[in-house]
Amino acid sequence: MKYLAISVTAVLTALFSGPAFADDETIAVFTKNQTNPYFQAVRVGTETAAKALGVKVIQYVPTKPDSIPEQLSQVEDVIVKKPNAIVFIPVDYKALVPAVEKINAAGIPVTNITDRSAGGNFVAFVGADDYSIGLSVARRLLKAIGGKGNVIILEGVKGSLTSTNRVRGFNDAMKENPDVKLLASQPANFQRLNALQVMENLMQSFPSIDGVLAANDPMAVGAIEALEGANRKALVIGINGSKEAVELIKSGKLLASGDFNGFIQGCIGTEIAVRNLHKQPTPKEVMLKPIVIDKTNFTPYEMPVEQRACPTLEQIVSN
Amino acid sequence: MNTAARTAVRSRFTLSRDVMQAFYRLLGVVLLCAILATLSDVFLTTNNILNVLRQSALLFLMASGLTLVILTAGLDLSIGANVALSACLAASVIKITGSPLLGMATGIGCGAVIGLANGILVTALRIPSFIATYGMMWMLTGVTYYYMAGETIHGFPPEFRQLGSGYLLGVPMPVYVMVLFLLIGGLFAQRTVWGQQIYAIGANPVTARLSGVPVERRLVLVYAVSGAMAGLASLIILARINSAQGDIGEDLTLPAIAAVLVGGTSLFGGSGTVAGTLIGALILTLVLNAMNLLQINSSWQPLVTGVIVLLAVWIDTRARRIGE
Repeated sequence: MKYLAISVTAVLTALFSGPAFADDETIAVFTKNQTNPYFQAVRVGTETAAKALGVKVIQYVPTKPDSIPEQLSQVEDVIVKKPNAIVFIPVDYKALVPAVEKINAAGIPVTNITDRSAGGNFVAFVGADDYSIGLSVARRLLKAIGGKGNVIILEGVKGSLTSTNRVRGFNDAMKENPDVKLLASQPANFQRLNALQVMENLMQSFPSIDGVLAANDPMAVGAIEALEGANRKALVIGINGSKEAVELIKSGKLLASGDFNGFIQGCIGTEIAVRNLHKQPTPKEVMLKPIVIDKTNFTPYEMPVEQRACPTLEQIVSN
Repeated sequence: MNTAARTAVRSRFTLSRDVMQAFYRLLGVVLLCAILATLSDVFLTTNNILNVLRQSALLFLMASGLTLVILTAGLDLSIGANVALSACLAASVIKITGSPLLGMATGIGCGAVIGLANGILVTALRIPSFIATYGMMWMLTGVTYYYMAGETIHGFPPEFRQLGSGYLLGVPMPVYVMVLFLLIGGLFAQRTVWGQQIYAIGANPVTARLSGVPVERRLVLVYAVSGAMAGLASLIILARINSAQGDIGEDLTLPAIAAVLVGGTSLFGGSGTVAGTLIGALILTLVLNAMNLLQINSSWQPLVTGVIVLLAVWIDTRARRIGE
């Protein structure tokens, strides 16, 4: 009897609730580029959530990384195709505002994740804030060097909001430790080859470096290679919690990485978009807490994102 | 054959002038170094000099092959994307087979095949090199992104890493590779018939063809060499940063072109030297090194880079007039 009841419910669900939204609903997801593993994690997050919620996602990624004109024209295409909802990361938080306004005018509900847009109407914003992540991961390093010594900051692309906020977090952590000396703060454009060369140059000027604060993981890796190449030792931190960073934390080469958790942002952004479509209540803003991945807690991060399950909105909000 | 003889005489004359100009350009570098030495006391240390040479090796390797292309009045915009694909494929092969040699063959081979394809587009299909290599750049970038899917390959065997981070008699390995290709490139361009034919094609393709130069075959060769050098550069990058990512070649093409042009090779073809390109690569590397040593604020760095590049070219054009 129990089986029958279940199967009847299943049939009924398939017949009525199914066609009402599940199969037809599509969500257009916009990310910045195909090269940064962070956005790959976001895309996997949106797909994992979509599968669980029974909706379809279509990914829009500029072929030229972070290209403003390309994302603008992709938005125009999407408005013509009229998906049910949009999950949106602007390649530039200011330049894409007119595009968001066009989406608003077309009446497609849009959820903003990762980088907060400077304007336009959104169902919600889901993000982790760069400043707090920079602050907490820098504190971890400054504590590890005993609150004193010489530190170098590797900045990302000059003028980018991400780099500015992360570096601001680094600097505020430095202010809490007056015995730590900032030797230099130089840009390495979020790239590992640039970071390697900048670090090689800085090592010429500074015979004693205790710590390196890098605004993302690839630059942290570049700095580690430079230090190893010169047979020198310093503690290094990065930001992104990438797979590579987790492996380096495991092998003891990287002290810690700030976790930005693109996967969870993708999951939650999609869940909010779907809830909003189904007229369920949604929060206006979800800020993920900064997590510092280090030797003590890296194990869950070793699992590839493709195999992870999405947390639900309740789990995240109650946390 | 009378024309051929005249072309030969003409290019020999161009040569001696080129050598004179390379000398003036070298003076420019010495002057730049002298200024930097007064500003920073670590600038002229042996360590920093070796550091700058090692960093410029990468730029030089890419720019040296490109010099030959630009000597024929062509352009190769695909080298950065070529470096990325070659690096990613070489990295995969090293990871899968565990053999650095197979990986190196893959990197250089992949680079050369891409160059060959560029050469065929330019000659057989008669597509202007700017457009042919621009299209190639997009295709390669697409293939690389698809292949890597946002992943990173990292951790190579120590014997392979020697190529990038090793030392021999206290000098970094990439510096030896750079000197080797400076000699090969210089001798090939100045002292071989094929090299002279490349200058002749750039100076005047019609005259070159009339005097019996196999223009198409030399052009294909030039693009293939440029591609192979990008493949070689990709190996040095891999060995240095111990990892490969899809965006590894970004921001590499323009500096390579700039190194060739700052080094005095004419964008219109027919005039320039591989040695000049080395000087161009040195100047561009010195600028970054100096900005780090002097800790110039990151907001000012792009402006400073621009000013120094323009200054270098201005000094060069002045020196040229004196040379003539």
